[in-house]
Amino acid sequence: MAALGVCGSAALPARLSRVARTVWGWRAQRGLGQDAGPADEGKAAKPSFADEAVQNLLYKMTGLNLHKVFRPVKKELKPPKYKLMTEAQLEEATRKAIEEAKERLTMPPVLNEREPINDILADDKFLEGTESTKYVFTDLTYSVPHRERFIVVREPNGVLRKATWEERDRMIQIFFPKEGRRVIPPVLFKDEHLVAVFQQDRHEDILNRCIAQFEPDSPDYIRVHHRTYDDIEKHGKYDLLRSTRHFGGMVWYLVNRKRTDGLLIDMIHRDLLDDATSLITLYHMLHPECQSAREAQEGNLQGVDLIKVFAKTESQKEGYIQLALQAYEEAMATSTAS
Amino acid sequence: PLFAGSRLLKGYRGGHVVIRFALGGCTNRPFFRIVAAHSRRARDGKYLEQLGCLDPLPNAHGERVAGLNLERLRYWLGCGAQLSRPAEKLLGLAGFLPLHPMTVTSAERLRRRRAQEAVAPAADGSPSPGDLP
Repeated sequence: MAALGVCGSAALPARLSRVARTVWGWRAQRGLGQDAGPADEGKAAKPSFADEAVQNLLYKMTGLNLHKVFRPVKKELKPPKYKLMTEAQLEEATRKAIEEAKERLTMPPVLNEREPINDILADDKFLEGTESTKYVFTDLTYSVPHRERFIVVREPNGVLRKATWEERDRMIQIFFPKEGRRVIPPVLFKDEHLVAVFQQDRHEDILNRCIAQFEPDSPDYIRVHHRTYDDIEKHGKYDLLRSTRHFGGMVWYLVNRKRTDGLLIDMIHRDLLDDATSLITLYHMLHPECQSAREAQEGNLQGVDLIKVFAKTESQKEGYIQLALQAYEEAMATSTAS
Repeated sequence: PLFAGSRLLKGYRGGHVVIRFALGGCTNRPFFRIVAAHSRRARDGKYLEQLGCLDPLPNAHGERVAGLNLERLRYWLGCGAQLSRPAEKLLGLAGFLPLHPMTVTSAERLRRRRAQEAVAPAADGSPSPGDLP
């Protein structure tokens, strides 16, 4: 494939990949993987986003379309480089490309919204009226992680309090600027402007920008992601995110809210039966008390039967799913016959 | 290599390390750098280390931004550096040091003056505030 040789040097802009790699110390840092493994299906602890089994399922569903992952990004215009390779070298290059694609497809963490900070350190009432504006003091020690940095605000009424999350993010961006992040969040992330972005089908770009701009547990990040997922589900544009790192997050969001029907139909239309079965397995992992989960466990169903049971019990669009399954089976029959 | 007698390596007699504000910026736009320097150096001249900055003008969100490298500040204070009065006041406001007594005193003086000004125009309607001390 000469095409692979051409885009061998193409990469996401260095800023976004650097952002991606630095932030994902999250999982190790905050100990988000509670109990890894499928052991907690029947127990009280609900499987979280970071569990191994969940991540494996989501990764399988994401797919690996090398042409989409290494799609040429707008960079400085250079003539393409061609390399002459033997078969063995080409396989080696493909293998390396797959590994790098796997790295690029690491899913951003899904966290709960952060609690607002309301901590007062000191209250000096006699300072009231001396100043007209507040002071914001930031600790510039280089070796302190940003989460533990001291950022305090001295208000004009004399109270010394810890800074709110928005103030913290702004100050940290002023003194320790990160690529791709602005001090004041761009107007693009407001709801009325997101609509325009969705009309142009640029969901992946806005999600990348959102990851660069906000912290994963900030309310803005969560709000933008949820709007994007809602819009994709409303219009059925699941394929836009298929081979990107946002697919896992979208599936997690939909499964948690039990709105998986459109996605299931889309997968069956594209003949991705394995993905459909893993979607239903994930659904059962997250909602073990629902009827289809119990039936599946009793009967130990696999493949198409699982989908049929799920369609009968849990889904709202049963008719569509049956139709899609029928079409798939007919297509399979004709292809095997011919 | 620089020789001790050359103009570049100026030697001072006496003096000590101070942590003070060095003024920079442009006309009508001050900007202070919190700096550890020899006391005999020029205010904006060569310093030992920059420990932070202060922007005295409020920004778009109505805040005056200040950054302080507390770890290095502790190092220099441990080495025996002294602080200038504005630096002490700023650190008192920040909470790193206890509040400076002059901050408290000037706050009280301001309050007293404002109280007097509030009382005086109410007391005498005729324009002669000159008999106040």
